[in-house]
Amino acid sequence: MYFLPFKEMTFFKVRYLLISFILFFVAILVFVISGLANGLSMNNASSIINMPADTFYLQKSAEGRIDRSHLTTMDLEKLSAKDDAQPIGIQMGAISKVNSEDKLDITFMAVQPGSFLEPNVMAGKGLKGGGENSVLLDRSLKSGAIKVGTIVKDARSGIKLKVAGFMDDQTFSHTPVAVISLDTWDSLAGSREKSEYNGIVMNKDDSGLKKDVSSLVKNGEWVAKDQVIKGIPGYTAEQNSLYMMLSFLIVIAVFVLAAFFYIMTIQKAAQFGILKAIGAKSSLLVKLTIFQVILLTIVNIAAAVVFTKVFMTVIPDDIPFIFDTAQIAKFSGILFLVSIFGSLLSVFNIVKADPIQAMGRLE
Amino acid sequence: MIMEPLVLENVEKSFKDGDKENHIVKNLSFSLKMGEVVAVIGPSGSGKSTFLSIAGALQSPDKGKVIVNGTNISSYTDIEKAKIRLNHLGYIFQTSNLVPYLKVEEQLSLVLKMANQWTKGSKRKVKEMLTAVGMEHRVKFYPHQLSGGEKQRVAIARAFINDPEIILADEPTASLDSNRSMAIIELISTIVKEQNKSAIIVTHDDQILPLCDRIFVMKDGQLVEDGREVLI
Repeated sequence: MYFLPFKEMTFFKVRYLLISFILFFVAILVFVISGLANGLSMNNASSIINMPADTFYLQKSAEGRIDRSHLTTMDLEKLSAKDDAQPIGIQMGAISKVNSEDKLDITFMAVQPGSFLEPNVMAGKGLKGGGENSVLLDRSLKSGAIKVGTIVKDARSGIKLKVAGFMDDQTFSHTPVAVISLDTWDSLAGSREKSEYNGIVMNKDDSGLKKDVSSLVKNGEWVAKDQVIKGIPGYTAEQNSLYMMLSFLIVIAVFVLAAFFYIMTIQKAAQFGILKAIGAKSSLLVKLTIFQVILLTIVNIAAAVVFTKVFMTVIPDDIPFIFDTAQIAKFSGILFLVSIFGSLLSVFNIVKADPIQAMGRLE
Repeated sequence: MIMEPLVLENVEKSFKDGDKENHIVKNLSFSLKMGEVVAVIGPSGSGKSTFLSIAGALQSPDKGKVIVNGTNISSYTDIEKAKIRLNHLGYIFQTSNLVPYLKVEEQLSLVLKMANQWTKGSKRKVKEMLTAVGMEHRVKFYPHQLSGGEKQRVAIARAFINDPEIILADEPTASLDSNRSMAIIELISTIVKEQNKSAIIVTHDDQILPLCDRIFVMKDGQLVEDGREVLI
């Protein structure tokens, strides 16, 4: 019997094409906005997102915001022996090429060379290989003027830094990250005594180590990585706006798709009446209708996924876009369920479809 | 062979109309014989269609028995009634009510497929049936490509394809001109006689009455047999 929906769809081509387009475009809109949300999130905070960190120890009064948290050097030295708890320094700043006034906004990130906090380089060498006052830059800064071996200077202190290598996806609050060693960090601040750090990062959930750190460094609290990401300036506002759009889109999709499938079945009430009069059971008609909706949804969501993949390769590089398979699958599932739900609303009308009405008149 | 494929005994059906009960069909008894074509006439609102939908297993009566092929179906569930319709009854409607997206031959094969009667020989059976109603040259056409009379012929073929004992026709000629009307009723009558079926035709159309074997008038919720000469 499953040939009936196919016959119907090929006969009423225009009607089903329109429904398909709506499904297709709603799915595309959901996928593209989620891709942009992910892209912006990554563009904003990839240095923390990509960091192999579990929890952060931040100053209590910082309320989970790593840029506001300050711990003194004195405290940190007590930790020097512990590999799994590493100090981190984060500071917005600017660099320029030697002999040039053009400043580039960056975020300095100070780490212990060779520790788990030091990102891998995609070109050049790491901090250890680069020698004294070397710096690793986000790939976005790589250009004709700045390459491995170029000397740049810190705009505030004037200290010269040598570009040792470039890293993939290292940003903080939409600025590219410049990774430097803790020693360089101290000299940028003037001296070790004046230097402050933003927090301590732990790469695993170790309650014993947590206790040690808490007792050595006072006035701090443990904050989960997710919270730290949300605390990056601008991150929450940006993501909330996008997710607001996404959730509205899904609510609209619920109503549009449900209404469409509902109206589609109501329009077919006469057909159902005819089929019933010649002996079709309600259960068969319900099965066929749901089968049809499943078919339409799967085909169009699959097409939208393919479109989104293509879209991703076509858009310019400066529009951050990330195709997160797990998330796309989740949204596909939601759209699928919404469509099925819409068609289930009309099951009642199928069961009610009256073969007597198909006879053309009633008394 | 059961000689009376359809028997109604003391059937009653009423509808609620506001506060009062409206007895559309009262104490109606009727029996249909093999090989005959029966016409049912009567003014609008007299209960002809209600009678037909009870006889056709579309509605259940409030009281009384509906016996199809010797089985009382008056208390059947909707699913059981659908099965009766599929296997024992054939419908012809006022408008042909073909499925718009199926070709002429598919209209017929659908009925056989739903009844799980589709076999190797079915294709030939469909062709023969369409030849019998003079539609063999239109097998690949969609309903919207056919004229009113042609559609009605396809509907007749569809009603007969699953070998039902009883054909129920509700104003089958209402949308046709008089020449076509006569041809359609003759066609129904011919197939009924040839294949030893029986048919009930509800109609307003007096000119087709000479082609029917018996004529009933719906009066006060009952069917009264009437002499043909009275009406002509």
